[in-house]
Amino acid sequence: MEPVNERALLERCRAGDESAFQELVDRYKGLVFALIARTVQDRSRAEDLAQEVFLRVHRGLPYFRGEARLSTWIYRIVANVCVQDSSRPATVSLDDERAAPVVPSASDRQFGDFELRDRLEKAIARLPANYRLLIAAHYLDGVQYEDLAAALALPLGTVKTQLYRAKQQLRRMLETDLK
Amino acid sequence: MFCDEALDAVEAIAGGDLTADGRIAEHLATCPNCASALVRARQLERVLQRRGVPQPPPQFTARTLARVRRARWRSDQFLDVGFNLAVILIVVAVFGGVWMLLNRTGLVAVTTDAADLFGSAFVTLVRRVAPSLPLYAGAAALLASALGLWWWAERDAAL
Repeated sequence: MEPVNERALLERCRAGDESAFQELVDRYKGLVFALIARTVQDRSRAEDLAQEVFLRVHRGLPYFRGEARLSTWIYRIVANVCVQDSSRPATVSLDDERAAPVVPSASDRQFGDFELRDRLEKAIARLPANYRLLIAAHYLDGVQYEDLAAALALPLGTVKTQLYRAKQQLRRMLETDLK
Repeated sequence: MFCDEALDAVEAIAGGDLTADGRIAEHLATCPNCASALVRARQLERVLQRRGVPQPPPQFTARTLARVRRARWRSDQFLDVGFNLAVILIVVAVFGGVWMLLNRTGLVAVTTDAADLFGSAFVTLVRRVAPSLPLYAGAAALLASALGLWWWAERDAAL
């Protein structure tokens, strides 16, 4: 969004214009929902958390000074919400995962994309929350390393290093699964 | 070049952030373990890039706005209760202060006489009004119902 439009939209939101806030939700819901759904991997929980993000945006609007871009501020809220959610007791699906690890059958032992995709989702669920978020965000259109660095308040180099480590962990998990 | 260094670089190479040249390329050409890691890192990169983008449900915006309105209404109610409590406390403090002032200046005796006077006047008023009491009670109930309906309609509108 252009900075001028963004400022105007924020001003309208601050003035209590509900249609402006609706516009803001419509503009960012795809990004926010995709990020969270990829991180928590449970659609209903993802919707709840995405709504929580917009609730926090609404509450925080009077205090948002516009020093950062609106999208950066929203990424930061998404990161906080995801990290807080990950500190909750483990979900049933994760418990199930731990109780009954997937044992690959002989015919499954190929590193084909189809199997890989299925295993990938399970492996991502086992990553630490900050790595899950990085993996989720990096592969969304329009999200740059710079956006992530600003949102997570980390140097650009650290973001890249953490992303490589996350992918390295994923690769090792997938290799271990296939052994 | 050792395997550890090469394995640390394969994700950057697969992601296109690093070009495998010089010592790294030499090592990858001679070490089957690291070469295989790079192949898998590239496959992983490809699958991550093709990962589906989850879309929000169709009613997402409406549900989010409803939740925001509910939260705002609750916050307003909380403020209202706080404000009312503060007003009650101020009124109690003012009356307490006035009573203490009257007590210190000896005016309480005068106010007691005044209270007796008002009390007897009130008793007389009640005796006169008593026959029409059902009518007043009915009117009061009607007013209370109207106020209740108005409050209920306002609450629904706020939601």
